[in-house]
This record gives sequence, structure tokens and C-alpha cells, in this order.
Amino acid sequence: MSSIFDLTLIALLIASALLAVRSKDLLAATIIFSTYSLVMCLVWMHRGSPDVAMTEAAVGAGITTILFLVAIGKTTRLER
Amino acid sequence: MKKALVIVLLIVAAVPLVAAVAGLPPHGSPSNPTYTHVSAYYLEHGAEEAGAENIVTDMILNYRGFDTNGEVTVIFTSLAAVFGVLLLTGAVARKPAAPEIPVSMVVRFIARLLAPFIAIFAVYVILNGHISPGGGFQGGTVLGALYITVSIVLGRDEARRLLPRGPKPWLQAAGPLTFVGVGLLGLVLTGYYLGFPTTPALAWLRTAMIVVIEIGIGVGGAAVLASVYETMEAD
Repeated sequence: MSSIFDLTLIALLIASALLAVRSKDLLAATIIFSTYSLVMCLVWMHRGSPDVAMTEAAVGAGITTILFLVAIGKTTRLER
Repeated sequence: MKKALVIVLLIVAAVPLVAAVAGLPPHGSPSNPTYTHVSAYYLEHGAEEAGAENIVTDMILNYRGFDTNGEVTVIFTSLAAVFGVLLLTGAVARKPAAPEIPVSMVVRFIARLLAPFIAIFAVYVILNGHISPGGGFQGGTVLGALYITVSIVLGRDEARRLLPRGPKPWLQAAGPLTFVGVGLLGLVLTGYYLGFPTTPALAWLRTAMIVVIEIGIGVGGAAVLASVYETMEAD
């Protein structure tokens, strides 16, 4: 059961990483990247490191997303 | 031709890497070299020797204090880099302030409702870093995120009051400053920079030093994140 959970999370991680890199819409890429961080947070939690999971949730899913969004707001939304 | 060369190079690079991974000791086995030397000692003696019940905090603030001291300085340097790029080019100063982002009533209400709870949780995470998972970095990030939320929901003038101009530079440098301060206190007490007193009678001081560093990292991290957002957003 535990390994099915792990494999699902890893499949989600790979899928979101590929989508974030391939997306031409930077706003979509940012949101997908924040999904990646959220799944990564679950992986850390499941591997028994709550300290890293908290950092991942706060920095990865929270702060970097906001800073990326501000940067997109100041520049352009579509990759050229 | 070029594609074939790339594929051959990739295979040449991949073979030794895969061979090395196959030669690693089994994942999670207790007899792995990584678990049998210092880790075993830290797990056994960390809680009573290093001043924090949370072994991770023992590791980052006591046994590996030098590394964390460097990391805290890196965070402060990142703020200096943002200032260097955005402020010194004069982009922020010359342009009129960007218009506020319109926020929906639902988001505004939820953010106002949750803000005090988020603040208390952040302080709890910072002050309990030596007992439970978390600590200065995590709590500081939550505080910084709260500042950004307040700035978006209530407007930047309201948020700016939370980070007054006078103590602002001191708050931004709080991480490195408290770390070096506690390090020098250790130098006076034990003769080593970042040395923690080891006698049982001074156990309270050991824990107090760890808590002071956590508070410094938390306040400093929050101020740095808030200032990075403020500088980027005002551009």
C-alpha cells in the first residue's frame, strides 16, 4: 500500500516537472511548479522528514510562487 | 550525425553512473556506512548534549553550526543582490508606484480571518524549533508569506507599517547578527566560536542560545522575504 502511494507521488512529480518545463504559458508553468512543490512536500513527509516538508511547503509552494507571479506581472506571460 | 554523437556521449556518461548507483549499499539498511559512524552518535547523545530535543535542530544549530551560519549569511546576501539589481539601477525610484492589485471580497475576508492564526502559528514554529519539527527558517518563511498576504489584501501602505523604516535594516540583518553574537558568546564561554557550554549546570544556557538563534533566523528571514517582495512589487 505504502509503495503504491509512493509510486503515485513520484509519477505526479515527474508529470508536473515535465509539464512545468514544457509549458509555454509561464503563469501555467508557475502554478504547475507550485503543484510540484506540494507533492514534493508530501514525499518528504512520507519519508519521515517533517522539517524539510515544512520548508518545502512554505518556500517551494508559497514564497517562490508569489515571487514568480510578481516577476511575470512585471514582464510578459508568454515565453518567446 | 550530430544526434548520433549526442546519443553515444549520453550512453558513455550513463554507464558509469548507473554502475555506481547499482554498487551503492541497499537503501535504508541500518548497516550502511552513513548510519554507523557519526549519525549513531548524534542520535544517541544529541538530545542531552546539544541543547535541543529535536535532533534536526541539534544538527543544524550545534553540531553543524558553522554551515548554518554560512547559510544565514547567504540569505542576507540574496537580499543585497536583489537591492543591487533593482534599487541601484534606479528602476524603482524613478517610476511612479504600480497600481494596487484588485482583490476579491472572498479572498480579502479569508485572509483577514486567517492572518492572526498564521502569525501565532509562525511564532509557535520559531519558538518550538528546539522541541518539535520546524524552527527559524520555517517560521520565518511563514511570517514573510503573511507579510506578503497582508500587503496584497490590505494594500502596501498598511503592510509597510509592519516593517518600519527605522529598525528595518536591523531586522533584515537579524539572522547573521544574532548568529555571530551567539557565536562570540560561545567564544567567551568555551574558547571556541559557536562553542556551546557542555556542563549539565549550564544546560539552560545551551537551550537559550539555540532559541535566541532561532528567533534571529526567524525575524531575519521574514524581514528579508518581505523586503524582496516589497522591492520587486514596487518596481
